[in-house]
Amino acid sequence: MALCLPLFVCVPACRRDAKAPPAPTPKQSVRATLTQVSGSVSVKRAAGDEWQAAVSGTALYDDDKLRTERGSSAELRFPSGTVVVVSEDTLLGIAETRAAPGRPQADVTVLRGAVDATLDRPANQSLTVGTPAATVRAGREIVFQ
Amino acid sequence: MSPVLAAAFALLASAATTPPAAETVVRPGESLAQLAARTLGSEGAGPELLAFNHLDGAPAAGTRVLVPGPERAKAVAAIGSARSAVGQAPTGSARTEAEARLAEAESLLARARYAEAAAQADGAWKLLADAHEERSHFAVAVEPDGRTHVAVKAGVPVRVEAQGRTRAVRAGETLTVIRGEPPGTPQAESQGSQKSEPPVLLSPEPGLKLALEPAPGGLGPVRFAWKPVPDATGYVLELAGPRSQSIRTAQPVVTVPGLPAGKYRWTVRAVQGDGTLGPASTRGVQLVPGRIKLEVKETPWQ
Repeated sequence: MALCLPLFVCVPACRRDAKAPPAPTPKQSVRATLTQVSGSVSVKRAAGDEWQAAVSGTALYDDDKLRTERGSSAELRFPSGTVVVVSEDTLLGIAETRAAPGRPQADVTVLRGAVDATLDRPANQSLTVGTPAATVRAGREIVFQ
Repeated sequence: MSPVLAAAFALLASAATTPPAAETVVRPGESLAQLAARTLGSEGAGPELLAFNHLDGAPAAGTRVLVPGPERAKAVAAIGSARSAVGQAPTGSARTEAEARLAEAESLLARARYAEAAAQADGAWKLLADAHEERSHFAVAVEPDGRTHVAVKAGVPVRVEAQGRTRAVRAGETLTVIRGEPPGTPQAESQGSQKSEPPVLLSPEPGLKLALEPAPGGLGPVRFAWKPVPDATGYVLELAGPRSQSIRTAQPVVTVPGLPAGKYRWTVRAVQGDGTLGPASTRGVQLVPGRIKLEVKETPWQ
């Protein structure tokens, strides 16, 4: 019985780990959440070196990376309600804290591929998309909390 | 370029070059305008620098002066956005009030009251945005060489910044930015449509009512297919309906795992060699819940 109890407690936790890449510690603010995944979509944590399969519900944090393979796609939802659809064969960074000198911090940095963004209430939402060539800002410049 | 736009770009450029809150020493022979240009990126910001340091006149060489930090950058960015929104707003009471708030924001900036300036500018922006509240929808695509294509489908303009320059891209316009260069002039999305033919849509058939099983996100899967367009480098599928989204793909087929039930219009455009979108083909389709499949297994209990 003494052996069974730890094993029983471990099962749900182990299952969770197998489904979604573990969140970084100590706990950070969630920058975006994967709300839909189609095909092969993977996440690399800021502190990790390995790409891990992503599932719907995976939370994304500062400096995480997201990758979709050919024929795959994903949908991200930001806390403001902004929705970003990630097309196939795309590589992007989440809220990269090490932005290039003189470049503002972006909510999403598209390194390769394409994204499609929708702001339902642009008067109260904002989104900054960085790329190697430009910074794209949409919605309200300053969102007062 | 209009003086107003030039001023906006100068302000935005100064925001990008503003260092964090710090001190600097006035150089020998340096005028107030030169000092303002060096520290704030604008020769005209001398009075603001004086106000920030509570000085009555130009400081002498060797004087230590404080340089405003991120709070100023935020105010400058907010004023830039408000100015862009005012410039594009139709004549009316909302625009008149927004212009007044913008003028007040600029006045507050000149007096180094940055938080108030940002709030006033944001108020002007929100006034116009609320008067014309519409879903903002845009796409960003990055090529392997970093070249960036921005296409605005609907809503208020988005702002594209590169190399210290900012361009507003309105709904129905596209803009391409080459790495290391400032943004060019936005183009109407239809310009470039002369080169290729519209895609020939294959499935779903026109006006079809598709009965589908429940799937993540609604009903699905839904497969959209069309004939390849010669010389196309990719395609953009746009869905308009209970859920609207745009999907970029290299292949002439897209399978969406699930969509909410309802009527959709789906539009396909080819991405041409120069990155512009070709002419569109559009069809309608209706998604309805299919029959519920019941599976009754034999039980071992008699």
